[in-house]
Amino acid sequence: MNRKTFLLGTLASLGVAFAAPALSQSTPRTVDQKVTISYYNYNLASAGNGADATKRLIAQFEAANPNIKVDGVGAAPNDLTARVQADIAANRVPDVVQMVFSDLDFSVTNLGAVALESFVPPDELAAHFDGISPNGRKLGVIDGKTYGLAYTFSTPVLFYNADIFKAAGLDPDKPPKTWAEVKAAALAITKKTKADGLLTGIFGPSAGDWLFQGVVRSNNGGVMSADRRKLVFAEPAAVEAVAMLRDLYDSGAYTNLDVTAAMETMAAGKAGMYLQTSAVQGFLVKGATGKFDLRASTMPRFGDKPQRPNNSGSALVILSRDPLKRRAAWELMKFMTSKEAYTVITRDIGYLPLRTDIVNDPQYLGDWVKKHPLLQPNLEQLAILEPWESFPGPNYRQIQKMMMDGAEQAVFGGGDPAKAMKQAQDSAQALMPK
Amino acid sequence: MTIDSAVSAPLRSMPAASPRARAKGKGRATTAIAHLVMVILSIFCLFPVYWMVVSSLRPPNEIYDTSLWPTGASLDNYAYALKAIPIVRMLGNTLVVSTVVTIAQLITGLLAAYAFARWRFRGDKFVYTLVALTWLVPFQVVMIPDYLLVSNLGLLDSLSALILPHLAGALAILMLAQAMRSFPREVIEAARMDGARSWRILWEVIMPNLRGTIASLAILVFISTWNEYFWPLLLSRSPENSVIQIGIQMFMTSEGTAWGPLMAASTMASLPILFIYIVLQRQVVQSFMKSGIR
Repeated sequence: MNRKTFLLGTLASLGVAFAAPALSQSTPRTVDQKVTISYYNYNLASAGNGADATKRLIAQFEAANPNIKVDGVGAAPNDLTARVQADIAANRVPDVVQMVFSDLDFSVTNLGAVALESFVPPDELAAHFDGISPNGRKLGVIDGKTYGLAYTFSTPVLFYNADIFKAAGLDPDKPPKTWAEVKAAALAITKKTKADGLLTGIFGPSAGDWLFQGVVRSNNGGVMSADRRKLVFAEPAAVEAVAMLRDLYDSGAYTNLDVTAAMETMAAGKAGMYLQTSAVQGFLVKGATGKFDLRASTMPRFGDKPQRPNNSGSALVILSRDPLKRRAAWELMKFMTSKEAYTVITRDIGYLPLRTDIVNDPQYLGDWVKKHPLLQPNLEQLAILEPWESFPGPNYRQIQKMMMDGAEQAVFGGGDPAKAMKQAQDSAQALMPK
Repeated sequence: MTIDSAVSAPLRSMPAASPRARAKGKGRATTAIAHLVMVILSIFCLFPVYWMVVSSLRPPNEIYDTSLWPTGASLDNYAYALKAIPIVRMLGNTLVVSTVVTIAQLITGLLAAYAFARWRFRGDKFVYTLVALTWLVPFQVVMIPDYLLVSNLGLLDSLSALILPHLAGALAILMLAQAMRSFPREVIEAARMDGARSWRILWEVIMPNLRGTIASLAILVFISTWNEYFWPLLLSRSPENSVIQIGIQMFMTSEGTAWGPLMAASTMASLPILFIYIVLQRQVVQSFMKSGIR
């Protein structure tokens, strides 16, 4: 090492060492003057429980924090990132955004999402993290830093129609737990009833890749290497998972329906089983009420391998650049991930609580959970939840699409699973950041 | 008895149909078939509307039933839809936006078309071609620059932002220019001889004679603005300042579609357009025939 390199290295180290505390110092510990922050939320773009609950939470927060006014902006989940980009270009940087997990990496590298560790004092951060499920907390972590806190998130659940199970000679008290059992049950259903055996939300234009990732991971496969540089969805374990889905389809156990059509077929009582996010539970219950016995079980596993479900849904991220607004945004984020807020989010919107200690607490969800047994498989899976991985770089959506197109071609299009996934992986790898 | 008389005798004894009666009978059969085809086509066209209304009356657990009338019909979905989104305000917003855009496009279209049709000036064909070419540019391409513009003007989350990019439209200019070019020049010359200047010729001679085209254009612009979706979607920040198409879309979420309230909102949203159609039926049909189906 020569003298110049040593000096530059020392200066850089000193710069980093001084910059981090400076960032946290520049953010005030309290909001002692009036400030308005924007809160981009996709529940606000919907009509009904999600929007009502969110408006209620915002009102409660404003009442508790009179100096902070929250300007709620609604945008549909698929349009939210485009809206954030447009507003950043228009110099109207949003302060808090409910970001879909698949867009988390993009929000860090391209939208300027701020790591909580970079501006929240460590003691305050530790105090807030106390009580949060460790598996839930790591969903918003990228490269060791917390960029988002899981907000409205859920796990894949196997919903089933107990009446159709009985009609097919199956025991509804013993739902299938492995993919092999799912296949057998689905074939029995298609043979003895007019209903579809199995529907899923894995494929389709609006399906994303979260459910697919869970199926692949449950066979000990993956979509990306640990260092997030290399795609691995054409590795043998992933291909085997795709081949299993192909076999389900070829055997007639699995019907190829679009996400919306599958959801509605299940709600209409015309399908035996349906693998989808627990977030659609409210929708299915409305269709089932007075019509059929809707039940739920955990996501199926591959033989003896434990299932490894990942989450769907969104995290709250902070994009504020102004220190005062950033503090106000953190106050909002703390409130929205508090015990009180998670009680509302779980009970009124239908997602999982990030704080598991409220589940049995009668002050929060205790009584409600007892009355809603459908939530149980979802809660069980919270203990084994793994993160929905978001592809890195600006081409993340194209990479995701290529992977899903390859898998869909292999499952429904008659393509060879190994070849289709390899071809998709090779094409998508070229779009990964170098 | 000749062969002819042998053949004609029994025919004469029958109540023979005259050629006119035969033609009349054939005409009736043709009319009946034509009516039957039209009745079938009408049912085919009206059934989705009927299904929308019926679905809006179904309770949530009957929404996928295929019965022609629900067993537990109620107006609950209407009550829910009215509570969930500010439908009346959104309908009012849509009406304001559609009316202002229609009037603005008619005025800018008339002035521009008059210039193109009435005078030859340097580069007129080039400018006309440019206007025509803007029609070929999808709105999605200019959405973001437009968004930045209205944001810089401080108009986000306002009805003005929904109106501003649509103040002038290529369709209006092209349609009116075409109609004005076919207007007899002799009439314009006669008006000039009588001392009328350009402004008066436009409003007092040409415009009254183009009432049909103007009415057709107004209907087309109004309906397409009423159904506009992408621009309000990008601009929409709160339902109170948005339009009904965004309100309807709010019932479609990743957690499922609330079909009952969605159909109730759609039924309410289609009423104004239905009213316009009933009142201006002939002009609506003519407008689609004149401009081609858009």
